[in-house]
Amino acid sequence: MKVAYNWLKEFVDVTAPAEEIASRLALSGTNIAGIENGAHGTVIDAEVSSNRPDCLGMLGIAREISAIYQLPLKHIAPRPAESRSAKASDAVSVKIEAPELCGRFTARVVRGVKIQPSPTWLKNRLEAAGMASISNVVDISNYVLLELGHPLHTFDFDLLRNHSIVVRCAKAGEKLKTLDGIERSLDPGIPLVCDADGARAVGLGGIMGGGETEISFSTKNVLIECAWFDPVAIRRATRFLKLHTEASTRFGRGADPEMAETASRRCAELILQLAGGELLAGVVDVYPGKRAAKKITLTRAEFLRVMGADVPDKDLEAILSALGFAPVRVDDNRGAANSLLAAWECTQPSWRADVEREIDLVEEVARIYGLGNFPPRLPVARIAAARLPHHEAETRLRERLIGLGYHEAITIPHVAEERNDLFRPPDAQVAKLANPLSEEASVLKSTGFVTLAGAIEWNLNHGQRNVRLFEIGRQYRLVDGKPVETRVLTIGATGAAREQGLYDPAREYNFADLKGDLDAIGALSGGFRWEDGGPEWLNAAKRGTLRLGQEGNQPIGAAGLLAKRVADKFKFRQDVFLAELDLGPVYCMFYGVKNNRRYEPLPRLPGVERDFSVFLEDGKTFAEVKKAIEALGIPEVTSVAAADLFRGKNVPAGKYSLLVRVTFQSREATLTEAQINDFSGRIISALEKTLGASLRAR
Amino acid sequence: MPTVNNPTEKTLAELGAASREEVARLFAEVRTRFDSQIARPQDAHGWTILRVLWLGRKGVVTQITENWLKPAPLELKRVIGESLNSFKEHVEVVLADALAASEAGAEAALSAKDRVDLSLPGVIRPVGTHHLIRQVFQEIEDIFFSIGFSVVEGPEIETPYYNFEALNIPEFHPVRDDMDTFYLELPKGAPGPLLLRTHTSPVQIRTMEKRQPPVRVIVPGKVYRRDNPDATHSFMFHQIEGLAVDSDITFCDFTGTIDYFVKQFFGESVKTRFRPSYFPFTEPSVEFDVSCVFCGGSGTANSGGTCGKCKGSGWIELFGAGMVDPAVYGFVNYDPKKVSGFAFGIGIDRLAMLKYGIDDIQAFFQNDVRFLRQFP
Ligand SMILES: [Zn+2]
Repeated sequence: MKVAYNWLKEFVDVTAPAEEIASRLALSGTNIAGIENGAHGTVIDAEVSSNRPDCLGMLGIAREISAIYQLPLKHIAPRPAESRSAKASDAVSVKIEAPELCGRFTARVVRGVKIQPSPTWLKNRLEAAGMASISNVVDISNYVLLELGHPLHTFDFDLLRNHSIVVRCAKAGEKLKTLDGIERSLDPGIPLVCDADGARAVGLGGIMGGGETEISFSTKNVLIECAWFDPVAIRRATRFLKLHTEASTRFGRGADPEMAETASRRCAELILQLAGGELLAGVVDVYPGKRAAKKITLTRAEFLRVMGADVPDKDLEAILSALGFAPVRVDDNRGAANSLLAAWECTQPSWRADVEREIDLVEEVARIYGLGNFPPRLPVARIAAARLPHHEAETRLRERLIGLGYHEAITIPHVAEERNDLFRPPDAQVAKLANPLSEEASVLKSTGFVTLAGAIEWNLNHGQRNVRLFEIGRQYRLVDGKPVETRVLTIGATGAAREQGLYDPAREYNFADLKGDLDAIGALSGGFRWEDGGPEWLNAAKRGTLRLGQEGNQPIGAAGLLAKRVADKFKFRQDVFLAELDLGPVYCMFYGVKNNRRYEPLPRLPGVERDFSVFLEDGKTFAEVKKAIEALGIPEVTSVAAADLFRGKNVPAGKYSLLVRVTFQSREATLTEAQINDFSGRIISALEKTLGASLRAR
Repeated sequence: MPTVNNPTEKTLAELGAASREEVARLFAEVRTRFDSQIARPQDAHGWTILRVLWLGRKGVVTQITENWLKPAPLELKRVIGESLNSFKEHVEVVLADALAASEAGAEAALSAKDRVDLSLPGVIRPVGTHHLIRQVFQEIEDIFFSIGFSVVEGPEIETPYYNFEALNIPEFHPVRDDMDTFYLELPKGAPGPLLLRTHTSPVQIRTMEKRQPPVRVIVPGKVYRRDNPDATHSFMFHQIEGLAVDSDITFCDFTGTIDYFVKQFFGESVKTRFRPSYFPFTEPSVEFDVSCVFCGGSGTANSGGTCGKCKGSGWIELFGAGMVDPAVYGFVNYDPKKVSGFAFGIGIDRLAMLKYGIDDIQAFFQNDVRFLRQFP
């Protein structure tokens, strides 16, 4: 709403400069987008919130200023000269068939007007408000809309059939060509203004007039429509029609039904002034929606309960009076100024449909009095604060990942369906958007893999080839039509595990890096069990499934090298490793393991290490070696570790060499050479027997 | 002591010293000898030899103990003991200092090829970073946690009831036009509709459904609005919702809480103001402004022109808030006559952009490692 400073002054004798007025308006609830000093003087650009349609006119803004500055508001009382012989009610009839859509319809008729361009002052005012000038009569209706905030429509009276207006619901399949030349299909529920006893639609009620009856330069006689339409009906209609106009904005937010007749009179007055002609006597005014003004009581007790600080009677009453609420003290303590028991009965003005409860009056008083006048105070907390239940587990996990060199990522979960499907388990139902902005963002990610792969793609495309990322986010899926959001950790890495530096050579990130890093976070939850297998979009030779806790527990995630087929879709030219874990069980186990963790006394005696270098057939695993040694049941064996592994030179084809390091330790006594030799012998024969291993050296 | 006439090789009787004065004179003589020896510069080896000569098993201090102290008559024992201790301490301190100084000097004197070049990097171990949005979340969470706000979460896929209706935003409310909403496509027969929450406010309702007052929670999370992406718009962004409901919470408590938060976050010098505004689920509603952190609230940039960040107003709009509208209590079976409270919704991305001078919101979600590394 563009508010011209000099126009405003017609309604309130404010002397403060525009900048100050703008700032005071902003601090009392009318947001200010800016102030312009243009060809037509200073214009304040007010962003009126949707609950305040009354401020979509000069009069409404002036009322705010009158309340802020405590200056009298100059009301408008148009008194156009009327014909002594002809009456409006003889020239036109009005019938409202849909009173739930149209609460009031007034019609005035001006005969013998001369349609011509508007005078400069009128053009300037419209221009200052951002409206184009068309002709004097059309401009006048727009002028009154800006002045009083109430929309009007003018018809060429002679083009209205039968001069019988009917306001009704649109019928299914009905069409109307509006002023803008567009033929629109209508929906039942849209209010229609019709002529010929309702046979022909001549306007979308409260939104836009029809093309067939509009004012032209040959128009002689004018019918002024000034009505009131139901806000919800108008909002429904504008949403259906995707058509928003100055009129629909005001009716859609709630215009003032009492203003309709005044605005019509004002319009007639200006037409007589600028276009001449004769105004038929009286007005045809059908007003089925007339209601008695609502009474609302404001008590000081409630004001204090909500605001926590007081406003003196004098200020409170002045504010409410200026805004049109006509407060009257009704409590038994009427004589006592600023009594804690004070109560005021207020009358809801017809232009303030938004104020209907006591709390609304509290806000009215507070916003004009000034929110800065209520002293801030930090309230005491009466209950202990709690973090999220998984706060500690997640914090530890996050810190550990960061320590391991991963950057935390946050991705937008909207992805292309095709991409999402690359990683989607067959049984996961995708959460698809009904109204996506684009194909590239048409579904919510079913896994975290898809967006983390996207983040790696971004980095590779921007020259960053060494990337380690993690995201703690959600998977979005539907299960039986219901949404399920699962908290997951996704890890992605590519490029160098260690970059070429002054002291060390470069080394590429490989599966063992991923496994080591996962095991480092798995340690927080008691350790992962790694098993063969995994989703088919991971390389079949370099992937694993992870479980927590007991053998046979549900898998909680997978990790591995992105399969070539999928990597090709992203145009990845280097190995990309990905892993994803369901965090529910990870967090659950974190607390379980933490609470059961007990101190283990450190051994007093030194341990002894022995290395066993064995040739194993390809396919035999370290786990089998470890199991064979542990199966011997030697209590002094405290650790079995893989110390080195190689293939190639000096290793027979089809075999590989594994260096197994076994630590012996006794809590009771220092182990003798003989004991250790005995253990070693048993280990060697066990490996030979169960695994067919051949001892290489010791 | 490789000198002739060394008095410590003899007993006091042999030296003819029988009085306190004689003893003091002898100690003074020995001390003069020591001080004259250490006055000459030595290398580390030289100092080690001196240490053996004076403090070693056959050194001067031992000799004094053996020759002077032990055979001394009872009346002189005490004065000899005290003098000896004092002398011994003097020798130890002086020699230790001299040795340390000479070692440091020796290292410094090493050739340039053995010396570290401090301008070279150390071994660089890759360390990750918290996402900046996460850092800001954490900072805000910690501030509110310290004044009694618990942290809760809620679903991002919501029903219109929680996202709109229970927040006093019925269908066809004008505010819905400002919150362009993503809806989910649902299989036939599924209960619906479902949408992506446009704010974290639904968690207000979910929390009040579960808890009775007093309630004090903050809700960090992702929210979605169907805006075309540009430098200041992302169709996903982050909010922290706050809600406090109790039997005696007033507007003054609300402004005091917000004031406290902002001063913790931006610093004590920041000025704050509350402008009346409109939201269907709060009343009175406010927009909360802070004095521009770029121009100090003057509206004038350092370069002299109008401050671009606050467009010369000196104020930056931070977020919307207000007292919970009594109508909302009706949806969660609270008695609006007995309870009152406030709610706020802080846009995290915008706050981070303001605080760190980031001019493109998309940078948060591209996850370029060069961006992430800037905020360790
Ligand atoms: Zn500024």
